[in-house]
Amino acid sequence: MFTGSTRPTHRRVRDSAPLAVGDSLERRAAASSLLAGFGSSTLRAKLLVPPARAMGEGGELAAEKHVRYIVTVEKKKDSFESLVMEHIRLNGAYWGLTTLDLLHKLDAVDAGEVIQWIMSCYHPESGGFGGNVGHDPHVLYTLSAVQVLCLFDRLDVLDVDKVADYVSGLQNEDGSFSGDIWGEVDTRFSYIVICTLALLHRLHKINVQKAVDYIVSCKNLDGGFGAMPGGESHAGQIFCCVGALAITGSLHHIDRDLLGWWLCERQCKEGGLNGRPEKLADVKFRCPFLKLFMFFITLSWHHRFD
Amino acid sequence: MSHSKALLILCPDMLTAWNSRKMVLSVSYDFTKLKDELQLCTMILSYSPKNESTWSHRRWVIKKVSEHHQDMSGLIERESLLVKEIAEKSKMNYRAWRHRCWLISYMTREQVLDELKKSARWNELHVADNCCFHYRRSLLLALLDSRCIEGENSLDYKSEVHLLWKEELRWNEMLIRRYQGRESLWIHRRFLSQWWVKFLLSGEEMECCAAGISLVDLFLSQEIYLLSDCLNVPADEFGEACIQAELAALYILWISKQVPAVKPQLEERLHSLGSLEDVLARACPERSRLWTHLIA
Repeated sequence: MFTGSTRPTHRRVRDSAPLAVGDSLERRAAASSLLAGFGSSTLRAKLLVPPARAMGEGGELAAEKHVRYIVTVEKKKDSFESLVMEHIRLNGAYWGLTTLDLLHKLDAVDAGEVIQWIMSCYHPESGGFGGNVGHDPHVLYTLSAVQVLCLFDRLDVLDVDKVADYVSGLQNEDGSFSGDIWGEVDTRFSYIVICTLALLHRLHKINVQKAVDYIVSCKNLDGGFGAMPGGESHAGQIFCCVGALAITGSLHHIDRDLLGWWLCERQCKEGGLNGRPEKLADVKFRCPFLKLFMFFITLSWHHRFD
Repeated sequence: MSHSKALLILCPDMLTAWNSRKMVLSVSYDFTKLKDELQLCTMILSYSPKNESTWSHRRWVIKKVSEHHQDMSGLIERESLLVKEIAEKSKMNYRAWRHRCWLISYMTREQVLDELKKSARWNELHVADNCCFHYRRSLLLALLDSRCIEGENSLDYKSEVHLLWKEELRWNEMLIRRYQGRESLWIHRRFLSQWWVKFLLSGEEMECCAAGISLVDLFLSQEIYLLSDCLNVPADEFGEACIQAELAALYILWISKQVPAVKPQLEERLHSLGSLEDVLARACPERSRLWTHLIA
């Protein structure tokens, strides 16, 4: 058990993530931000569209309240809500800890305890992580585990090659990725594996060209990307595909004008963002849109958004 | 199996429980047990229609069945019907419609044609559901792919698709005129027109009509006429006329960008309404940053 707090140095991990040789500084910055993956839903909801109760008297973020909320949720392991979400606890840990880190309060939790629990979700025979102790491995939880260990700057506890072999072994003949041994394919898994390998500096373990070709095959006539070839364009899937292409230095495959057009049309009259045509604005799309916005800054498209 | 069933009824996205069932079902092929598995999924989807793990498990079961059965048409038809029923209660359900699009790869050409025909009525009653129009686009694309089949039927297939496409354009225009300001209808038209104009351009020398006007010119004139009607709809209290004008203007911009070869012809046909820029400035001033860049 490790005692004391560890000042997170995940910034160092992000900066040293393997990016395409010859990328401009702006592109590297945008791609680095995409490596962080989805932010915490708490932070998303409360920072980007802060309801009145999340704000202090002076209109500032009530950071202490958010920290207390996260720590309380972390401790409540026996409530009904906690039990029915037990299998995705590792994802929840990533969201909560990222929030704490962004609020500079990662020391509110015991790093040693967290890391010990994370490692108890590890399957040494496969190299993957389950959503909680005793749960089957899947790339979804493996990425969250790697991200949390990055937050604490403790990738040293991992058998990095074993974890990298697990995720890279899920690449299929056509370049796509399955989420686990049972074979379901989704472009989200492409992003997750590429993100995991980038954080572990093991991108060379997959056939990057085939991975890119598969993602490009999921590009639609409207410039967006779906979950599979021919799948309906969806902001979340687009974030994953663009993120994967950014990390692999393959942004030139994107039709900037077309995709930019599609994204611009997601802004509703009242200013909010939806994820697909005809849907209502939803705060959950603000985070992926902000990340895509940062990417578009590097492509000089930012002034098209209102 | 009964324990995992109880767990999944309570918590359908518990992958570990689904996996344990897959392990048992993988021991030996049993069609009855796989059918029961589909029933369990159907029951869970009745109260949790967006649950990705359940849809994924369903696909795993169907793949297993397809490994042992040549004729999947009955199963695929029932699956498609299931999605339709779920979509009725759970609108714009991305996961459900993704599943329905996935089924297309198992459909025969006749089934695809049948699906196009049968789903038209549902679409007419759900014009704001972009998913169902995306499904139609997937069916049309599947027909285009099957056109590549060699043999004596390929020419028949080609003419059949062209007739279908023309009819789809006509039907889409009817819906656009009837239901003002529906984004999903205009997005469907963007797809249809883009392919149609490119097709007309590729066969231009062979297919001029009797008056000597090219078919592309004729089609573009009709689209400008539609635009003009949409720009002149009287304002309504719901603002739908405004949205209709905006979507119509952006549609013309779409064609000019996606098929640059017809841009001069479009500009020429637009002249009575002003330039494309004038039209966009009048119809969608709020998106000026977007179209200013796209026009440049």
